[in-house]
Amino acid sequence: MRTSKFVMVVVLIGAILVACGGAATEAPPVEQAPPAEESAPPAAEEPVTIRAYIVDYTADSTDTWLEDEVVPAFQATHPNVNVEFIWGSWSTFGETVSGYFAAGEGPDIINLGSEFNGLYGDQLAPLNDKLGSGAWDEIGNFIPGTLENASWEGELRGLPIFSAPRYVFCRSDVMQAAGYTEQPTDFAGWVEFAQTATVVDPATNALTQQGFVPVDAASMADFQWYLNTVWSIGGSLYKADGVTPNFDSAEAEAAIQFNYDMKRAVYADDTVGTLPAGTGSVIEEGNGAVCLWHSGWAAPAPDSAVWTKVDIQPFTGDPTNFPNSQPVVLSFVDWWAVPAYSPNIDMTVEFLKFVFNQENNHRYNETMNLIPARADAHTGYVVENPVLQREAELAAQYSYGFAGILEPTQLQSILQTELGLYLTDQQDKATTLANIQQQYTQVLQDGGYLP
Amino acid sequence: MRDNPYLFTLLSAAATVVFIVFASAGLGGLARLIVRLARRSRREQEAAFAGYLFAAPWIVGFLIFVVLPMLASLYWSFTDFRIGRPIALVGLQNFARLIVEDRGFRGSLVNTLFLTIFGLPLQVGVALLLAVLLNQRTRGERVFRATFYLPVILGFNAAVLLCWRLILNAGNGIINQVLRAVSQALPVIGYLQRGAIYVVEIVNGFFLGLTNGNFTLMERALAEGLPAANRVPLWVQSPLWSKMSVILLIVWGCGSMMLIFLAGLTAIPRELEEAAEVDGATRWKRFWKITVPLLSPYIFYNLVVGMIATLQIFEPVYVLYRDNQPLAPSAYSLVFYLYQATFRFNEIGYGSAISWLILAIIAVVTFVQFRLQNRWVGYELH
Repeated sequence: MRTSKFVMVVVLIGAILVACGGAATEAPPVEQAPPAEESAPPAAEEPVTIRAYIVDYTADSTDTWLEDEVVPAFQATHPNVNVEFIWGSWSTFGETVSGYFAAGEGPDIINLGSEFNGLYGDQLAPLNDKLGSGAWDEIGNFIPGTLENASWEGELRGLPIFSAPRYVFCRSDVMQAAGYTEQPTDFAGWVEFAQTATVVDPATNALTQQGFVPVDAASMADFQWYLNTVWSIGGSLYKADGVTPNFDSAEAEAAIQFNYDMKRAVYADDTVGTLPAGTGSVIEEGNGAVCLWHSGWAAPAPDSAVWTKVDIQPFTGDPTNFPNSQPVVLSFVDWWAVPAYSPNIDMTVEFLKFVFNQENNHRYNETMNLIPARADAHTGYVVENPVLQREAELAAQYSYGFAGILEPTQLQSILQTELGLYLTDQQDKATTLANIQQQYTQVLQDGGYLP
Repeated sequence: MRDNPYLFTLLSAAATVVFIVFASAGLGGLARLIVRLARRSRREQEAAFAGYLFAAPWIVGFLIFVVLPMLASLYWSFTDFRIGRPIALVGLQNFARLIVEDRGFRGSLVNTLFLTIFGLPLQVGVALLLAVLLNQRTRGERVFRATFYLPVILGFNAAVLLCWRLILNAGNGIINQVLRAVSQALPVIGYLQRGAIYVVEIVNGFFLGLTNGNFTLMERALAEGLPAANRVPLWVQSPLWSKMSVILLIVWGCGSMMLIFLAGLTAIPRELEEAAEVDGATRWKRFWKITVPLLSPYIFYNLVVGMIATLQIFEPVYVLYRDNQPLAPSAYSLVFYLYQATFRFNEIGYGSAISWLILAIIAVVTFVQFRLQNRWVGYELH
C-alpha cells in the first residue's frame, strides 16, 4: 500500500514536471525557424546567439580582447545578438570538432587551421554570395594566398585571421663562424652547409650545434618540409588531372632524397643524441640551431635581441638541377569557418565581417604578434618591427598556399609515417615513394576522388 | 528557449529528472510484474520493486550511455560511416581490411603486444617491490605511499608531458645525465649499461621488423656489437627506444597496483613469517615461499586489470608522440590507432571495427588468464 502511494506521488511529481517541460519546449525556439528564414537576416528584435569555438592562442590577451571589446562593439549595432565563445586548444581539437560535425550541431564559427579545409570543406557553408568580391568590397584587402586557405572547391568557407608562412631563419653570426656569409641556394649547398655547421660533442655523443632544423630537430622528418621542398623545385602533388597523386615524379624523388641527405648531414648515424632541451626558439642564443625552417610561432619572440643576427629568406629550391625552382614561403593560415549546420549563417557572417574589418584584424593579430591576413592591416606594429616587415614582404612576394590538398589529414599521416621510416633507414627510397603513391591513391579512391 | 541558456539548462535538467523518475518507476514495476508472474509473495514483489527502483537510475544510465552506444558502434563497424558522408553497409569489409591489408593496424598490434609483454611485468614487479618496501614500519611511510601514488592522481596532463620530454631528452635529460655520471664513475655499470643498450636495440629492432617487414635496424644493431662507451638511450628520438619511453611512463603510473599489493601484504598474518623465521628461513626464502603465494590473488588481479589497461593503453603514447609523428608508428598502440582513425580521419565505421577487434582481443586474453589461474593462484587465506 505504501509502495503504491509512493509510486503515485512519484508519478504526480513527474506529471507536473512534464507539464512544465512540455509547455516550455512548445515556446517558439530560434532553431525551429523554417529553412527559408535561414537566408534572410533575422528581425531586429529577434534574439540570436552566435557561438564560436576559438583556439585560445594567447590566454588573457586575445580572448579578453574578443570578449571585452569586440563583442560589446558589435552589440552596439546588433543589440539582439549574443556571442558566446568556447575556448579550445589544438590538443583536444580533433575529437571536439569531429563531434560537432558528426552531430550536425555545434558552434556557428569554428577556428580551423590550413590543413582542415580539405577535411571539413564539404561541411562548411559556401559563402561567396555573402563574402565574395561581389558581395563584400573589403574582401579585396586580404592577401590572396590566405583566402585560398579559407576556401574549398572555389567557395569561401570563412575568413583568414593571419598569415603564418614558413621561412628559413638563419643565425648569420654562427653561419659566418662556419664560413658562410649567405644562405645556400641549392640542395647540394644546403647539405654541405648542414654538415659543416653541425657540431657533435664526442663526450656525450650528442649535438651541441645543429646546422639545420626543419620543424622537428630530432627526426628532421616533417611532411610540411617535404611538401615545401617538392613545391620549391616546381613539383606538384597531383598529375595533370588534378587528382591522381604524383609521388612517382622526379621532383618527389629528388625532394625526399634531399630530406634524407639533410638528416644524414646532421646526424651521421642514428646513435647521435639531439640538441639539449632549451627554452624558447631553437635559434635563440645558446639553444644550438643555426638555421630553422618554420613559421613565426617557432621563431624567437619579436623583442628578442637575437633578431639583429637573424637572416630571413624564402627556401629557394634547387635551381642547379631543377630549372623550374622558385623561392617559396609556404603559407599557412588559421581561419574562422562557418559550418553549414549553423542556423544563423547570415548573422554569423555579419559578425565575421566585423571581426575581420581592417582595425579588428590588426588588433587580433597584435595580440599574437602575427601578420594579419588583410594587407591593409599591415600597419603599426607590423611595419614598425623590421622582422615582421621583412616577413610580410616575403609573404607578399613568395607566398605559396598550403591549400587544395585532398584528404589532407590522411596525406599528412601517410607522409609522416613513410618519411619517418625512410629517414631512419627502416625502408629504402623506392619503397617509400611507392608506399606513399599507393596509400594516397587508396585514400583518394575511398574518398570518392578517384575511381 | 535556447537563447536563454539558463532556462534551457534548467528545463533540460527537469526533463532529465522526469525521465529518470519514469524510467525508474517503469523498471521497478516491470521487476514486480515478473516476480508476481513467478507467483512469489506480496512481500517479495514489494522488495523487487524497491530494489530495482533504487538501482534503476544506474541501470538506465548504463543502457543509454553504454549499451546503446555499443550497439550503435557494432552497427557502424559494418558500415563505411564517415562524418559528412552518407552511410552504406559494407559487411565485413572493415574487419577484412584491418586484418589483411592495414599495415598501420598490424604495427599498432605489435607495439601493444611489446608493451604488454615487457611493460606489464615490469610495472607489476616495480609495484610489488615498492609495496614490500613501503610495508616496512618506517618513519614517513605515509609520505612515501602518497608520493608513489601521486602519478596516478596527476595523470598525463600538459605539465607532465613537458616534464617527461625534458627528462627523456637524449642530450641533457636527467635520466641520461645520471646514466652518464654513473657509468663514468663505475666502469662496471658502464659495461652493464652498454650491454643493456645492445639488447634493447636488438629486441626493438626485431619488433620493428615484425611491424614493417624490414629487419635492417636489428641486423645493424647485431653487426655493430657492443655500443661505444659514450652511447646513451635515445628515448624519444629513435624508433629503437620509443616503446621503452612508453614503458617508463607505464611503470611511473604503478601507484594503483602498489596500493593493492599493500592491502594484500597487510592481510598476510605475521605469525606465518615469524614461524618460518624461527625455522631458519632466510628473508629471500620467506618472500618467495610465503609472501608471493599468499599474494597470488592480488598478483592475479593486478595482472588481469593491468593486461586490460595495457591492451587499451593510450595516454602515455598520446602524451609522448602526438606531436612527433615520424616516430609515432614505432610506438603507437591499438587505441591510439583507433583514436587516429576516428578523430583525425573521421572514419567512424573503421574506428568502430577497430574497437570491436580490440574488445575481442581483450576478451580472449582475459579468458585465457582466468582459465590459467587455477595453476598458480591460491585462495587459502581468503
